[in-house]
Amino acid sequence: MLISIGAPVLIVILIVVGFVVVKANQKPVAATGSPSTALDAAAAKSLGSIPAATFDTVGAGSGVSAPTAVTGAALTADGKPRVVYIGAEYCPFCAAQRWAVVAALSRFGTFTGLGATTSSSIDSYPSTATVSFHGATYTSSLLSFTGVEETTNIPVDASDISKGYTPLETPTAADQALVTTYDSQTGSIPFVDFGNKYVTIGASYLPTALKGLTQTQIIADLQNPGSDVAKGALGAANMMTAVLCKMTGNQPAAACSSTAVTSQKLPA
Amino acid sequence: MTDTRPVTRSAPALASFALCLVGLLISAYLTYEHFTDSATLACSDNGAINCLKVTTSQWSEIAGVPVAVAGLAFFLAMTLLCAPTRFTREVGVLRLVGVVVGTVMVLWLVYVEIFKVDAICLWCTGVHVVTLLLLGTVLWWRESDRTPVESDRNPA
Repeated sequence: MLISIGAPVLIVILIVVGFVVVKANQKPVAATGSPSTALDAAAAKSLGSIPAATFDTVGAGSGVSAPTAVTGAALTADGKPRVVYIGAEYCPFCAAQRWAVVAALSRFGTFTGLGATTSSSIDSYPSTATVSFHGATYTSSLLSFTGVEETTNIPVDASDISKGYTPLETPTAADQALVTTYDSQTGSIPFVDFGNKYVTIGASYLPTALKGLTQTQIIADLQNPGSDVAKGALGAANMMTAVLCKMTGNQPAAACSSTAVTSQKLPA
Repeated sequence: MTDTRPVTRSAPALASFALCLVGLLISAYLTYEHFTDSATLACSDNGAINCLKVTTSQWSEIAGVPVAVAGLAFFLAMTLLCAPTRFTREVGVLRLVGVVVGTVMVLWLVYVEIFKVDAICLWCTGVHVVTLLLLGTVLWWRESDRTPVESDRNPA
């Protein structure tokens, strides 16, 4: 009786042990990474000037998650409502979220010095092309923006990814406190705080459509409202624009009175 | 005519039922995680790999069916097959086939985690361990049913 019960279980255990032994003797897949570079000037200009009609055609987009409404002391800087983004260059979900954040904020101001990078080569959605906020500045008469990239996409130890990625920037204690306050899964990124009125934790849409595309191809797709990239990233950007319009008192009218924004149903 | 067969409450039967309930709870959690995008489309801030790499990988679905949902369906079926009812003896073969299929599936998923995704999800491992234990208890149950009890040998 013991053999008829134990033998099948033992066989399964031995197969799993076999898997582990074979894996342990394999050469590990080395993670690759590189410092972000400057985003191509023409691509940056195109990203910052997506036509209002394109946003309107995309509307709610597809697969876009709603932000979470929060209550806290108004987050401001220089007398303007402030947006805080905390992410990391290795993070594939940050890679997706940055496209939406840049597209939305570009309707209220101008980014300069955006970087070009890719997410980790060995995490989920590997090597997703994106922009980086490291070294970038945002100019707007309506909003203030802080973008923090906590790490690069370069592993500390290419053969042992559990050691994480090389550090890049550290949020201020006050900004880190926002994560602690609003993120129940403390430490999850991307984290975006919209003036302490709304937060997004995690990507607002799946990075699936970005797979295999370069920054230039993604930016080209963002001009095409029928593309999957636009439906995800611009759908999320329209949601964020509606949030930003709440922060700016519906300024500028060109962005805040568009149908794609006024039709957004934000949580109360 | 009423069915007077006793409800099976042997040790392996109860252990199997308990394991099914544990598997059901874990796979329900994994299914919830699979469908709550906003909670799951995130990275840890130190880059350490967690369940996300497994649950969002291209192998997290089979023919469009999320593996988490398949796991939930498996434990739902096994819970019904192991529930202490009058019909547990009649479904013995079905129960055995079910747990063998589940175990083969577990071996495939462990292979995928180790060789394809290159990451281990602890919650998934919990489901795998429960399935392996369930294989043991279902085999034990089958052997117990085969062993004639005293009342069978000396019917009154």
